[in-house]
Amino acid sequence: MKTVKNLFKNEAVRKILLFFNENPNCIDTAKGISLWISWDINIIQKALNQLVEDGIITSHQTASTTAYAYTNNKEIVKKIEKHVKSML
Amino acid sequence: MNESEKREKQEFLIKFSKSSSVSAFRKICSKILRKSRCAFLDAEYKPVKCGGECDHLKLGKYLAKLKSNPLREYMLFKCNCNKICLSFPIIQGSSVYGHVLFIHLNKEPRKTVMDSVRICMDLVLKEFQKERELNKLYETIRPRAIALSTIHTIHRLLSSTLNMDELIERIARLTLQVMRSRYCSIMLLDESKKYLIPKAVINLDEEIPKTSPQYKKIRLGVKLEGRVAKTGKAVLSRNSVCVPLVEEDIIGVISARDKTNDAPFDKFELEILITLAEQAVIAVKNAQMYEEQEKRAYGSIKTLAALLDSKSPNTFTHSDQFVKMVLAIAEEMKLPREDIANLHYSALLPDTGKFSIPDEILKKPGSLSSTEYDIIKKQHLESLKIIEHLEFLKPAIPIIRHHHERYDGAGYPDGLKGRAIPVGARVMAVANAFEAMVSARPYKGKKISISQAIKEIEKNKGTQFDPEAVDAFIETTKKPEFKNMLGASA
Repeated sequence: MKTVKNLFKNEAVRKILLFFNENPNCIDTAKGISLWISWDINIIQKALNQLVEDGIITSHQTASTTAYAYTNNKEIVKKIEKHVKSML
Repeated sequence: MNESEKREKQEFLIKFSKSSSVSAFRKICSKILRKSRCAFLDAEYKPVKCGGECDHLKLGKYLAKLKSNPLREYMLFKCNCNKICLSFPIIQGSSVYGHVLFIHLNKEPRKTVMDSVRICMDLVLKEFQKERELNKLYETIRPRAIALSTIHTIHRLLSSTLNMDELIERIARLTLQVMRSRYCSIMLLDESKKYLIPKAVINLDEEIPKTSPQYKKIRLGVKLEGRVAKTGKAVLSRNSVCVPLVEEDIIGVISARDKTNDAPFDKFELEILITLAEQAVIAVKNAQMYEEQEKRAYGSIKTLAALLDSKSPNTFTHSDQFVKMVLAIAEEMKLPREDIANLHYSALLPDTGKFSIPDEILKKPGSLSSTEYDIIKKQHLESLKIIEHLEFLKPAIPIIRHHHERYDGAGYPDGLKGRAIPVGARVMAVANAFEAMVSARPYKGKKISISQAIKEIEKNKGTQFDPEAVDAFIETTKKPEFKNMLGASA
């Protein structure tokens, strides 16, 4: 996994992480997430795939739907939260 | 003015003084009023810290005047150091929220200038109000809209499966996700309605085997889950939240414990879990109905198979091993669950098509004449009419009909080729040929060994058999369960 600082360099990833940091209970599709953060769905989809690979986002897949949620890993969530606070 | 009113005004003024519209207003006014500095006073005439305020707020007589007779219009005055200052009240509705001051003006501004500043100020206030409304919407409606969208997504995820085990596991995982908890359990009431049976227990910190105490049934009324199931009332405490699964009657409970960030559960989360439980209960009920329907369907097929068997044993049906092999190949090929279920039905009645074939042809040893072969092809289709009235068997009919087709198109009844043959039929063709080779069917040739039969299947890959199905079959034969699958033939 990249460092949190490096992750935040990608604009789409940054927006997704800020969104999940603010709404950790959310489970939504790529389309839904792209609407919440007003960003292009294709870019968001790519960023989500990357974040799933990095273990920051969890995907829930069925034959017709793929939904994404924030990781339950306490350490990762804390690191991201700390970084977001430092940005303010 | 009471405390809450005072607080509300103070908050308003702080946000207003720091808003982007005020910052633009300050810049414009400093130009119009020639390098004046700007400050804010709250409704009690105390300076408001807004980052860029002037420290020259010893306002002396002005304050005394303002306090004794609060003005609702702009006012020109001289501060303690005898320099010109200008103040505007910030009015919202009927009350004064504070004052904006322009301090140390170079000269006394003309009335038209002051009027322009006043208009500008009103516009800024209106803009700020809009900003506030939008922020309020963002803070109150957006989280609810996101929660609603989450519930909708959960509904989509839950309604996409009718397999009870898969469903319960999915509900538990989604509960952990939505509740941000480390532990979740789903319990369903048993048939006696006296006990709760844990169906899924997940702890993020450790795997919980089905033999652990967490999987022990709980009597109604005992422990948190038992109490919730008995009373039907959700319970929220600092570290746990438990809600009933209610569909007319209580059918079970969902509970979540220990948030990942160690924070307490709140009412909003309880509300979300209740909504999730409402979605879950519909999905569980659907899965239960589907299971019952499936049981009935299997019952009917088995009855039909037994009837056919009573006419001529082992002619229309195959062994349990055959059914297991068909399913193992299908699993290996990762066919969709629905296709596997249809394949299961077909495997229970693979040779219904032989029903009206005369016994002398059916049991004839050695090869068939072309006339006999034509009779088989014709009767194969005729016989399928027996089962076509059973609605649930309709998707299985193409599999039964085409499992004598060959991948190269040389089979019967329709001479279909390659992928035009239904995938289930391609799978069944492999298992059927294998079983025929390794078992001693009276009307078949000599029985051969398992390894020879596997080689024979491999040899016909791409000609008689679908290469994908053969690969899956070969993989299946490598597994330890293969020997068990063969049973007596091994």
